[in-house]
Amino acid sequence: MPVVTNKSVLTGIIVKEAMRRNVVSLPLTTSLNTSINYLIKNKINALLVTDEFQRPAGAVSKTDIMGAYYADLPLDTWVGDIMVSPLIYCYPDDGLETALDSMLKNGIHRLFVRGSNSEAIVGILAYNDVVGILYRYCHACDRSIAKARQTSPDQIKRLTVKEVMTPRISAFQESDLLVGIIERLYELQFGAVLVKDEQKKPVGVVSKTDLILAYKHGHPVTSTAESIMNAPVESCDEKSLLNDAIRQMLLKDIQRLFVHANTKDDISGVLSLTDAAQIRSGSCRACTSSRLMTA
Amino acid sequence: MIARDVMQTNFHTLEPHLTIGEAVNRFKNASQAEKKMVFGMMVVDGQDQLVGILSMFDILLFVQPKHAHIWSEMDDMDPGYLFDELLDRVKEVQVADIMTTEVVTIAPDNHLISIADIMIKQHIRRLPVTEGREVIGIVYVSDVFYHLLNKFTS
Repeated sequence: MPVVTNKSVLTGIIVKEAMRRNVVSLPLTTSLNTSINYLIKNKINALLVTDEFQRPAGAVSKTDIMGAYYADLPLDTWVGDIMVSPLIYCYPDDGLETALDSMLKNGIHRLFVRGSNSEAIVGILAYNDVVGILYRYCHACDRSIAKARQTSPDQIKRLTVKEVMTPRISAFQESDLLVGIIERLYELQFGAVLVKDEQKKPVGVVSKTDLILAYKHGHPVTSTAESIMNAPVESCDEKSLLNDAIRQMLLKDIQRLFVHANTKDDISGVLSLTDAAQIRSGSCRACTSSRLMTA
Repeated sequence: MIARDVMQTNFHTLEPHLTIGEAVNRFKNASQAEKKMVFGMMVVDGQDQLVGILSMFDILLFVQPKHAHIWSEMDDMDPGYLFDELLDRVKEVQVADIMTTEVVTIAPDNHLISIADIMIKQHIRRLPVTEGREVIGIVYVSDVFYHLLNKFTS
């Protein structure tokens, strides 16, 4: 009897093809202050922490540093004191779909990739790497939007942002304190919250990156959202094509895009790289049927 | 021949709280004033104490999109305007946020041979000369090069 399996763009792709080989690692004794520099400069969300023998010991993410900010730890605290261990691994030959399942199951945003024969870490796989490879496959596909636009009308039903986004957002007032925002980010496992003015108009965003910069710049957690928020709010229409939204996120290096309904002031959801990676398709559902991947 | 003999004592510095945009302007002004390209500058605090070093590479690494390789595959669009928008978002970031804080320094009485050794082994092109934490000069690879090899040029 034929076995029916769901296929997606990612079927058949292995971790090695999507992972990032440049893993930034720091010794246990690095200060949080210095580690923030590495996160900001390399635009990464987590660092590998190594012990005195250069063996992997744990990981420190922006979320962990945000926790240190919340707990009012001094900036010269060692990363070794707040790191999370053990690391959760995958291997270079693992299927990308298996890796994604593991990230979802463990509620984590990245996997460290371990060499097959040693303890060495050979790469790191995060959601944006997965979305990057999805985008490239869809772009190169015969059914891609770029090709379809040359031969209108487009016959394929494309995924829209609305179908994939998280249809709830967390909003704060400009006068709300950072401490409350940090608690909410922890609770919802979100990367950012929306800030609205008194007329309920969206005016800015506070992300984990903004929070760790505020920590480094010496703002107390009792500062207001307004004092550190990023403005204006980047948003896209919920009827936009998923493919275009993904492209915007990848090229502009943003990890989420707020989504608006009819007007820009009516924010209806948020599209994160996690949402985009977990849907496992960059533009349409053609791959979900039974198409053979030949790439 | 020691560091003190070859170091440049006239150098440009950055302050930790400058924004990246201001730092880019400082690079430009320093290059014009020196009539040569300035690729990296020391970052000093209010007491002339060395707190870091910032190079053009640090700034480029920071502004470069992570998925730059995808940009090169885009044949159906001009990514120029996206890059401009990307730069607009970095205005809160300061020199102190992306500078290298683990700076290798030398003492004024370090010999040129040992300075060359540090530069070769650690791929460093400029070394601050410090007394305590205070910066008193900077030695560039070209200073070491021409002083060590002047036999060939004289």
